[in-house]
Amino acid sequence: MSSAQRAWEWFVGKVIRLSGAMAIVFVILIFAFLLRDALPLLRSASLREILLGDTWLPTSEPPKFGMLPLVLGSLYVTVGALIIAVPLGLATAAFISEVAPRWIQEILKPTVEVLASIPSVVFGFLGLLLVGPWLMELLDLPLPVFAGLGSLMLAFMAMPTIVSVAEDAIRSVPTALRENSLALGATRWQTIRRVVIPAARSGIIAGTLLGLGRAIGETMTVLMVTGNAAVIPEGLVGILRPVRTLTATIAGEMGETAYATPHYHALFMIGLILFVITFLTNTIADIAVRRSGGVAQ
Amino acid sequence: MKDRVIRQSAAIALCVAVGLALFLAGCGGPADREPGAPARTISNIGSTTVLPLADEWRAAFNKVHPGIEIAVSGGGSGTGIKALISGSADIANSSREIKDKEVEQARAAGVDPVEHVVAYDGIAVIVHPSNPLDTVSVEDLSAVFSGHITDWGAIGAPGMNRIQVMSRDSASGTYEAFKELVIALRGKDKSRDYAASALKQTSNQGVLALVAQTKAAIGYVGLGYLDDTVKVLSVTPLGGGESATATVGNIMDGSYAISRALYCYTNGEPSGVVKEYLDWIKGPEGQAIVEQLGFVPLKES
Repeated sequence: MSSAQRAWEWFVGKVIRLSGAMAIVFVILIFAFLLRDALPLLRSASLREILLGDTWLPTSEPPKFGMLPLVLGSLYVTVGALIIAVPLGLATAAFISEVAPRWIQEILKPTVEVLASIPSVVFGFLGLLLVGPWLMELLDLPLPVFAGLGSLMLAFMAMPTIVSVAEDAIRSVPTALRENSLALGATRWQTIRRVVIPAARSGIIAGTLLGLGRAIGETMTVLMVTGNAAVIPEGLVGILRPVRTLTATIAGEMGETAYATPHYHALFMIGLILFVITFLTNTIADIAVRRSGGVAQ
Repeated sequence: MKDRVIRQSAAIALCVAVGLALFLAGCGGPADREPGAPARTISNIGSTTVLPLADEWRAAFNKVHPGIEIAVSGGGSGTGIKALISGSADIANSSREIKDKEVEQARAAGVDPVEHVVAYDGIAVIVHPSNPLDTVSVEDLSAVFSGHITDWGAIGAPGMNRIQVMSRDSASGTYEAFKELVIALRGKDKSRDYAASALKQTSNQGVLALVAQTKAAIGYVGLGYLDDTVKVLSVTPLGGGESATATVGNIMDGSYAISRALYCYTNGEPSGVVKEYLDWIKGPEGQAIVEQLGFVPLKES
């Protein structure tokens, strides 16, 4: 290697290392920024009132910063989305990698990826103008906007993530496992269900958690279709009633909140809660991916 | 190897520290501006309710005074007042009165907010076209929007589902104005607030669309946003009396109960081109635009 090449190698190496370090720096800066603007809220309300309070009326006198309805709202919408998206995504992934002939694979895979590139405001419009009023008529609901509508829309947005990660995981299951199973007399369906999917479990869990991260952070769609009523959802019927999510609260209220007021700090506290939730799910997803041998990469 | 890891960690830590320091340094105090200093460019920021007015005023004023540049942007009443305090706005538009907290912040930053009423706006109460109700009192509206009444039968429209309350978001000036004028009964009952179950919409159009789709809904929008997809209720004022619908005439003669002023705020008494602009807005030409856009002009003009 000439000395010019060596200098170039050295330079490129440093640039790549710096880029890697920058990602860490950005995450730490965002976290520091959130902390700086969220913690002053503790001067106006105790942590207990914030996390367990059931009333969110930040502009009332005195203001009430109970975030429990918002956290539960986000959970309802997100869990609902996963209940729809995971079976659908898993079936699609299994179909693409195990069953479908090559030409169908080649059409289906890019189509699922296109689903990921549709802007969230489009899903919001579809839900608000088409799916919501239709479901209201069909199920005789009092309102055309509700938690389940948000779940349905988010399910379609989280599916591409789940499909592509799960598909990679299924594809990386050794062929020998399938052949052994089939040789023992198992049917194709039994092989997929009892051998391939359990073997790809870690990758599937990772895909699910990445999909969850996508769903819980989504803002525009839920702001448009979940109705934004900060009430604690009641039981299973709650899925057909309006809720208010963490993200929609920040988006809806940030515009006119006076700087450095308790309300302003409360919105940053919501941001901090979201950050912690997505950080945890991503970390768990990462561990799951590592355990399955890095299939998602 | 271990040595290298330590050195890299140190480098990262240094980056973070420098980044943080730069970031915090950037958050210093607002730039101050001499009160009432003359300007050839007027920066006009604030309420989205006032925005269509501000845009038309700018266009019409520019035809008469082409030398004066006016930069108009929205963001909301709070955003406008924030901008006035930080010195980036010459005129802050607001659909509500400035809050005591904001006055405090302004004083602390050496800004003296001066209020100018530039127009009036009515807030119309709307229901689904199939709703049999025609008239409602401010007292009943207060009970409905605060969640004390949840049944249509209790306010004179029996045989319907539970009332579905639609509201603007707490960031909106209309939200604050409706709370003050209706829910808190013009300050008589300050403890009352919106019911938690009220659906919060981020725009007037959002409220309008949802009320038009939902049979049991009740909501409110600014006068300028009304169309025939919804039914407008006639409102009986506080303490009883003749009911009136939200029309420009009823707001001007004071018979419609839910109306509010729209404001412009300046830093100190305006002078120079800012004074010229505000005088023009309050004059016949500016007020003609107010009427054209479905708002209510100042009474004296």
